[in-house]
Amino acid sequence: MPNFTDLTGLASVAVVGAAAVALLPGIRRFTLYRLAMLQGAVFVLMLIPFSGMPLAAYVRGATGDLSITALVLLWITLLRPWCNCGVNDASRHALLILVALAALALYPMALGAGAFDPYRLGYGDPLFVSALLLAALAAWLRKLTLIALCIAFAALAWAAGWYESGNLWDYLIDPFVTIYALAAVMIRAVRAPSKPASRE
Amino acid sequence: MFKTVHHPQILCIVLIAFGAAFFKVTNRPSTALFQPAAGAAQTGNAAPELRTHFASTRQNIHTHAASLAELGDGRIRAFWFAGSREGAQDVEIRSAVFDPARNLWGTELSVANRAGTQQPLLRYVKKLGNPVALRASDGKLWLFYVTVSLGGWAGSSITAITSEDDGETWSPARRLITSPFLNISTLVKGTPFLYGDGTMGLPVYHEFIGKFGELLRISSGGEVMDKQRLSFGKTTLQPVVLIKNPQQALALMRYSGASPKRVIATTTEDAGQHWIAPVKTALANPDAAISGVALPGGRILMALNNAEAGRDDLSLVASADDGATWKTVHQLEDQHGLSPEPADYAKTAADLARASDGGIADATGYARSAQRNKCDAQGCGFEFSYPYLIRARNGDFHLVYTWNRSFIKHVRFSQAWLDRQMKKTNDAELH
Repeated sequence: MPNFTDLTGLASVAVVGAAAVALLPGIRRFTLYRLAMLQGAVFVLMLIPFSGMPLAAYVRGATGDLSITALVLLWITLLRPWCNCGVNDASRHALLILVALAALALYPMALGAGAFDPYRLGYGDPLFVSALLLAALAAWLRKLTLIALCIAFAALAWAAGWYESGNLWDYLIDPFVTIYALAAVMIRAVRAPSKPASRE
Repeated sequence: MFKTVHHPQILCIVLIAFGAAFFKVTNRPSTALFQPAAGAAQTGNAAPELRTHFASTRQNIHTHAASLAELGDGRIRAFWFAGSREGAQDVEIRSAVFDPARNLWGTELSVANRAGTQQPLLRYVKKLGNPVALRASDGKLWLFYVTVSLGGWAGSSITAITSEDDGETWSPARRLITSPFLNISTLVKGTPFLYGDGTMGLPVYHEFIGKFGELLRISSGGEVMDKQRLSFGKTTLQPVVLIKNPQQALALMRYSGASPKRVIATTTEDAGQHWIAPVKTALANPDAAISGVALPGGRILMALNNAEAGRDDLSLVASADDGATWKTVHQLEDQHGLSPEPADYAKTAADLARASDGGIADATGYARSAQRNKCDAQGCGFEFSYPYLIRARNGDFHLVYTWNRSFIKHVRFSQAWLDRQMKKTNDAELH
């Protein structure tokens, strides 16, 4: 019987597979229900064992578990066609900037660039958790709802032991959401250097 | 979905989430002191004696990276990895038990392989590497070993299995999450140890972009609770933590940087909460693994390749002043600088095998294995590397190391032998 944290880890990878269906060529011609069925089928297929291991396990071997922030963004992508709802642009852009900045602060030092290791703070450092609470409250006050939710869900998942990792950083960001954030922020900066972020 | 208004529901979610997070923070275990090794009982071999054996027996395979753990009944269990070549998919973690009373190694068995590891991990595993073991205060035997899913050793993660019966049967594998970048590039080599509260200290190192040492603190349930950086940059790896007392420890590391090639050291005065900036010691190091034990009275005993190049010698060195100065206590192997032709190599290797273990019947088989692993178009070379030294509760010392990438050699010596050697070398020149 798999551990709970294995199931959550595999499910997160399967969610990526389901969300990736939306990128397939010609997928826009699908009705919502056909799209949902296809995404559901991909999700299930990724969890069915082949040669003793599900496809998601092969991907997970290389990628590890996805951060909660990445999952929130993926679920928004998956649900958007159903609720005709989106994230306001300013909130999304602010989140991506925050992810990029956090990654730039974390990864170089965590990979040995200096004597200080910010990753250590993720093992329940009270100041780090307090700073995140303040960041979530500030985001809520500034109506940057997506940031507040991503931080809160990450903190909740960490407290609940959602993944194998006991480090809060692993719930906040991962290399894939970092690459996405860096690319999105840079593309936006190149395309509209003087245009301020719009608010809905 | 997320409109620009102050949703009270969002505030509720934030407060609930952080209520749970702070509950976890306040309930996390506090920092712990080191647990120095208990004073050896000196009930071991009273004679000044050194004996050698081979712990592994399989021929014509690649064998490397042994470690040891003393079992509840005083027997010594060794672990190493072996397969058709380093990094091959058929590499297994193998184990055998040494019975000090009979002075004999038991039959070697496989305790972990690639398929058996990836199944419970629910992750693809490409290859296995270094194992290290620790018997926890509750009697559970922990085996931590390197697994790679993608790429070379830089893509390593640590996997753990446990045994309630001193290694006869093992639990399913579990993964330690130790790095934020895809959880890659954490490897084990140094001897794990215990903190005073029963949690475990696991020296680890990174090899992706940077090369540096770290110390993981792992709960008795197997969760990584904390990590401390021992060094940083691109030149230090494979830390060995030598505990002097509950607050003080010395960490020594392999050095992969430019000359002068020396073992790197750092110390802590607060049970590992802070470590001083790493410095070079007087000990030579050819970018090779080291091992050691802290002895009472500030003495330290190390096993290492005592040269700036090559792994073709292996020495025991000791310090009586917390590592400030060192003396060679005994040269275990010495083929330094030799690169004989294959025929001469085979003869020497067979002679060395016979001298290493009087019980082996087929020394030429050992020589053939060494030739397989240490001869190529450029010639042949000797290798005595990856030492792993422990002191048993009865006061005896046990050292294992890689013998020409083909076998695991075991050296057992008594405190009386060590005392005699140290007395002999009292006048030896300081390093």
